[in-house]
Amino acid sequence: MSTIPSATPAGALYWPVQARRNIGVRSLFVVVLGFLIAYGVLFPGLFTASGFAKFTQSWFPLALVAMAQAILMLTGGISLAIGATVSLGAVIAATTMAGPLGVAGGAAAVAVTGLGIGAATGFIVVRLRLPAIVVTLAGSFIIGGAALLVLPRPGGSIPEWLSDMLAGNTPAAFVILVLIVALWKLYLATPLGLSLYASGENPVGAYRSGVPVDGARIAAYAISGLLSTGAGLFVAAQTGSGDPVIGTAFTLNSIAAAVLGGIGFLGGQGTMRGALAGSLLLSLMISVMFFLGFTPVAQYVAQGLIIIGAVAIPQFRKVQQ
Amino acid sequence: MMKSSFFASASALCLGLVLSLGVGSQANAAANCIKGDRKAPYTIGWADIYSVPTWMKQTQGTIEAEVETLKKQGLVDKLVVTDAQGDANVQIQQIQSMIDSNVDAIILIAGSSTAPARVLADACAKGIAIINFDSLVDTDKVTAKVNTDSAQWGDQAAKFLIDAIGGKGKILILNGPAGVSVSDDRRKGADAALKAHPDVKVLAETNTPYNVAPAQEAVTSLLFANPEIDGILSLGGALSAGAVLALDKQGREQVPITGENARQFLELWKDKGLKSWATMQPNWLGAFAAYTAVQALEGKDVPAFVKIPLPVIDNSSIDGYLARAKDFPADGYIYSPYDEALFKKLLVQK
Repeated sequence: MSTIPSATPAGALYWPVQARRNIGVRSLFVVVLGFLIAYGVLFPGLFTASGFAKFTQSWFPLALVAMAQAILMLTGGISLAIGATVSLGAVIAATTMAGPLGVAGGAAAVAVTGLGIGAATGFIVVRLRLPAIVVTLAGSFIIGGAALLVLPRPGGSIPEWLSDMLAGNTPAAFVILVLIVALWKLYLATPLGLSLYASGENPVGAYRSGVPVDGARIAAYAISGLLSTGAGLFVAAQTGSGDPVIGTAFTLNSIAAAVLGGIGFLGGQGTMRGALAGSLLLSLMISVMFFLGFTPVAQYVAQGLIIIGAVAIPQFRKVQQ
Repeated sequence: MMKSSFFASASALCLGLVLSLGVGSQANAAANCIKGDRKAPYTIGWADIYSVPTWMKQTQGTIEAEVETLKKQGLVDKLVVTDAQGDANVQIQQIQSMIDSNVDAIILIAGSSTAPARVLADACAKGIAIINFDSLVDTDKVTAKVNTDSAQWGDQAAKFLIDAIGGKGKILILNGPAGVSVSDDRRKGADAALKAHPDVKVLAETNTPYNVAPAQEAVTSLLFANPEIDGILSLGGALSAGAVLALDKQGREQVPITGENARQFLELWKDKGLKSWATMQPNWLGAFAAYTAVQALEGKDVPAFVKIPLPVIDNSSIDGYLARAKDFPADGYIYSPYDEALFKKLLVQK
């Protein structure tokens, strides 16, 4: 597979390689595009600045947790603590930013917490050779409990200007997402980033070739933690407050988005763009089904059918080949 | 030159004052968020947080029934329903979609007491009538909030139980899930009465979802640990049913217990001849919210908070409730009867 980008891709080779990596998710892209068009037709306000802003704000936290989950799954890991970490990020932001620490201090606290939790989890999983699913399940209770300790019931506050900046009528969230994706591309060009896919797909082979497998995996957990608490910070800004259980649903949704995006459970398979498209589809579905006037029961069924469809179509293709 | 500009600005100031007074008095007449530019028939959006529990289904039933009535009066033409499947973030997105599709009213049970505040402020600014009931949001940017008083629930339940066990004894307290406002508030409401009676000893407390099975399990293990229990302060109907079943399964004698209008519990109450008391979160809060939204849109003054008095079920009134049991699902809640006259009365009281 050409999933391991070479250190200095020749320009002529770059685009064919990228195109080949799109094969698995091409049908997903078509489905997402179809939904985007449907949404635009049903709700023309989408093409105004505020309409686009509100739509991307609904998507943004899910996009971040999808990335947080995808980076782990690419290394062969998984996290069941993402939802709890989002909650913790949200309550830390909501309790610090309006206080003496200020916005910068609060954001730093959120970032350090995310990196720290992620690195600690990664260290336990990688160095102690414990199953990620067990460690992160236990971690979800600890982190979720910590969120309830920081803020036992919904409250706290976020400075109004920050809420307006991140989640007002400007597409700031979308710009930040583009920046994060650019950073991800940069990361993939660093030694640790380069090792990411190799560590996931064939850890033993990678280790024997001198790839820092453990380092790459622990770094992936740390980045995942950072993305999760970052999503929490955004949710706090979006809602203007903190809620210690606001993130719960993100755990399953992050896995759904990553799997929908063609990321394999075994590591080394899939692309970040797939995970992002998967999260976009999950978010779009909610709005499109609303505008189509689906009843809640029909929504449950349709949601399941769309997810199965998006995952199954590439498999049909494979079988035919 | 100077003079004339002075006069101009002074008169402009006066005009502004007059205008703002005018606008102010107009705003006083109409309910919060209402601008008066929306005309019947209205579209109502019902932003449900989670449609699966029976209580929610019954509540939606009362909303649909009310909307049918309002449709016949030509006041409503459409009810749009969303289900956030328990996810407060999804609920925000769905409320945003309701704003985008320009509904005239939003009625909601909030998935978080803080999270929807900003999106509701957006809706309020667009003149959408917002009626928030059951689980409330910490914001005043809504037309009205409608609820019973959870603290009063806890207080009345505690007082009944303390009285029923003669002011002293060992009790268990059964709560709903931790970190949820309703269960916190009911529990806090019970505090004062418990503190006033130091002879009432709390053996243990549980936090379980408002479901029979987990409550039964939790109480069963507490029964093993505590051979002597004089009463159970249960702050939810399914919890009470679980506790009664747990006592029954172990062959223990039933003790005084508080509860809620869950059909299963009311039937157990009659069946086992319990000494009991129950109140309820009436499902018709949903119907009342829809009714109130339309009243506000029609320009009627609506109080910012409508406190619904807790209907009480005791040994004198339980037969009346059980007589209507067949009209309710087996795992549902037998709510007190309601009609438009009651709604009118509730809206007038301040």
